[in-house]
Amino acid sequence: MADIEELINKLAQDTAAVKPAPHPFMLSAKWMLAAAAYLVVSLMLTGTRPDLMSKLSDPWFIAEMAALVGIFFATSLSAALLSFPDMHQMRRAAFAPVVSFALFVLVILLAWQADSPPAPLPRHSFQCTSMISLFSVLPAIWIVMQMRKFASTHYQWAGSIALLFAFSTGAIWLRLNEVNDSITHVIEWHYLPMIAVGLGGMWLGKRALKW
Amino acid sequence: MTDNTDNFAALMKRSINGEQRAYAELLQETSRILRPFLAKRLSLTNEVDDLLQEILISIHKARHTYDGNRPYKPWVFAIAQFRLSDYLRAHYSDQLRQAVEISEVENNLPENVTETTLSYESISGEIQKLPQKQAMILQLMHQEGYTAKEVAEKMGMNESAVKVAAHRAYKILRNKLEK
Repeated sequence: MADIEELINKLAQDTAAVKPAPHPFMLSAKWMLAAAAYLVVSLMLTGTRPDLMSKLSDPWFIAEMAALVGIFFATSLSAALLSFPDMHQMRRAAFAPVVSFALFVLVILLAWQADSPPAPLPRHSFQCTSMISLFSVLPAIWIVMQMRKFASTHYQWAGSIALLFAFSTGAIWLRLNEVNDSITHVIEWHYLPMIAVGLGGMWLGKRALKW
Repeated sequence: MTDNTDNFAALMKRSINGEQRAYAELLQETSRILRPFLAKRLSLTNEVDDLLQEILISIHKARHTYDGNRPYKPWVFAIAQFRLSDYLRAHYSDQLRQAVEISEVENNLPENVTETTLSYESISGEIQKLPQKQAMILQLMHQEGYTAKEVAEKMGMNESAVKVAAHRAYKILRNKLEK
């Protein structure tokens, strides 16, 4: 008991005014803006796919992009909430990625069924996963560094969501950059790797977000 | 001070602004509400005290993640639960590390557990003939009652090396005694 009193006195003496962390909605908005700016600059440098205008009239492409943007929003919000020990007391909102991923899977499955006759597979394969991963490195480092400023009590989950946020940025970039209509290829090399990314994020979270 | 959540939130707001007295009061009240929570989950008083200290330090580190505009207790209990889980995880994994696989020792277990004829003293002559390190390990473990981990610390070895050496010593002794 005496030790506790001593510790309390020491902590109280050490304390100084601290700036409270921003609201998670503000954090999420900041992270999304930063990722969006990175995406726009990257698209300006690498160029958009030449058939983008015609693809924007393809309902399945629009649905896929909307679902992907949904993941981008949901993971950003969830990552911001998970940065707080109590998830800012918005536990349900922290589960937003579950809904967005479910919608995404549904859209992708429907788009896959609608792909008849199937669009020809491109020649390349794993290169897409590599490109998305490379593109996602910067946003991933950035968001993990940002999250380290807070105090997550769900560090594995937080790490996973953070990497999925970064990877979704990369996935949006590649869909807007690469001329490719094969949904089979997209599922196999753009989206299925998200599972590995999520698992890798758990590993990373344990190492980088533990405090 | 009552358990009123508003009071905690108000104290935290003042603490965030650097008021040391408010912060000390907040931490005292926090430890008062956390102690029974921990005591219910841990059996030893010193464990409760150790963990309570860790939690208070964690609260101090994470105080910028609380803005005073939402209930205080869910925030503080989230941190407490997090540290408690960490503590229990470390505690149990340490116990697992110290546990010896039954297959490692089954050959050394006396067949008749109710009638032990072998003791350290009865075979101490044979033990003294073992290499010095192995003899020392057996003496510490079986005569003086140290665990493998404690023997490792005493002899500046690692724990698995101690277990391996002990296992080899048992083998030698078994062969000798069977003859």
